[in-house]
Amino acid sequence: MASSSEVGGSSADYETMMSTSDVELLKRAWRNEKAAPEILQYEGALVERAKEQIELVEETIEDYVENGKDPLLVSLYQMDLDRTQFLLRSYLRVRLLKIEKFMFHNLKSEEAERRLSEQERVFATKCADDLAKHFEETVLLKLPENYQSVLKQSQISEVDDMVPQPHLDTFVVCRSNNFVSLNLYEEGESPETVEMERGDLYFIRYKIVKGAIESGQIDLI
Amino acid sequence: MYGRKGYQLLKDFASGEKGQLKPFNSKLFDETIEECDQNHHLLQSLIRKMQQEDLDVPNNRNADHYGALIHHLSLMRNKRCLMAYVYNRAEIVRDLAWRVGLELLDLPSEIQEKLTSLEKEYFKNHSVALKSYMGKVGIELNVDMVPPKDPYIKVRILDDIDEGIVLSDKTTNFARHSMHFLKRTDAEPYIARGQMEELTD
Repeated sequence: MASSSEVGGSSADYETMMSTSDVELLKRAWRNEKAAPEILQYEGALVERAKEQIELVEETIEDYVENGKDPLLVSLYQMDLDRTQFLLRSYLRVRLLKIEKFMFHNLKSEEAERRLSEQERVFATKCADDLAKHFEETVLLKLPENYQSVLKQSQISEVDDMVPQPHLDTFVVCRSNNFVSLNLYEEGESPETVEMERGDLYFIRYKIVKGAIESGQIDLI
Repeated sequence: MYGRKGYQLLKDFASGEKGQLKPFNSKLFDETIEECDQNHHLLQSLIRKMQQEDLDVPNNRNADHYGALIHHLSLMRNKRCLMAYVYNRAEIVRDLAWRVGLELLDLPSEIQEKLTSLEKEYFKNHSVALKSYMGKVGIELNVDMVPPKDPYIKVRILDDIDEGIVLSDKTTNFARHSMHFLKRTDAEPYIARGQMEELTD
């Protein structure tokens, strides 16, 4: 943002307000979350910082409007604010939608549970309870006894076989940030590796790049 | 033929437009449940018969065992069909909550007719869960569903909305067919309910 002499004093404020690295991080987290078939780690600190910055900018905009600053400038700030708000909201929305889709799985698998924030965990438990209650009232209580479980097909099933799970085999487009060498097949089979240079685009199964995404070496597009 | 009713139930669901609900087919639903009961009775009578003949139930493979197996499998299939029907409808109900609004009364009446009372209960419970999450996080998540291009958009009013709606920066009188220049976040709930349309030219 160019700073003219009018806003000379506040350009420093602007830097602190909208430090691009945070917005970049949020954009990256949002893109990864959108493209991945399962839920990723919750970026708690990032969300908190983003919320604070949004509040700060909102206050500043109100100030500017009251002081009658240049309306073009105000609407530019407003647009920037809108965009960041959209990013934050969409990030949380995409996570909620994934939770809704794979309710029972998220509560069952420990790995998935670790990736939820506190409030998301509360939401997920309530959602699952609601859905289980809905199932029971509509179908299950009318069925004969051994078949009344929500998660198992019948009492004879050994595992919970009615839980939909995310498809980790879906193909995703990814770009790597560093030189990465990945094992293409499950351990035990012929270890073919794929090597990615920095900036290479790959269209590959999600399972393979899962670990690299968590450590930040690869980004989804 | 066992399992045909379950199949018809699911076909009925699939024949609606994707994402739209059809009225809850209680007739087929109840018939499928009856079939499950039938299967269960026959299963139990076959098992009892095998026990009376003093045969070791899990390991003995005679005709009755296979008959019982068929009843069991058919029962499980019916259960899966029924649950799939309810699950998919519930998915659409949740989708409605996101797209249209969290209040049951905001749903247009054509949609309300197609939901059973249990589904309305589910809708209410789900809205409560969503609202409590949004309250805790402190951010409203139903606005801004589309990436913002401009902060203000032109809209035309389609239905009669009550006068004197208070928007974030002014009060306006929404007469039918009038055009206004509103903030995107203010107009979105009305657009989602079909009371306004966005003018893009």
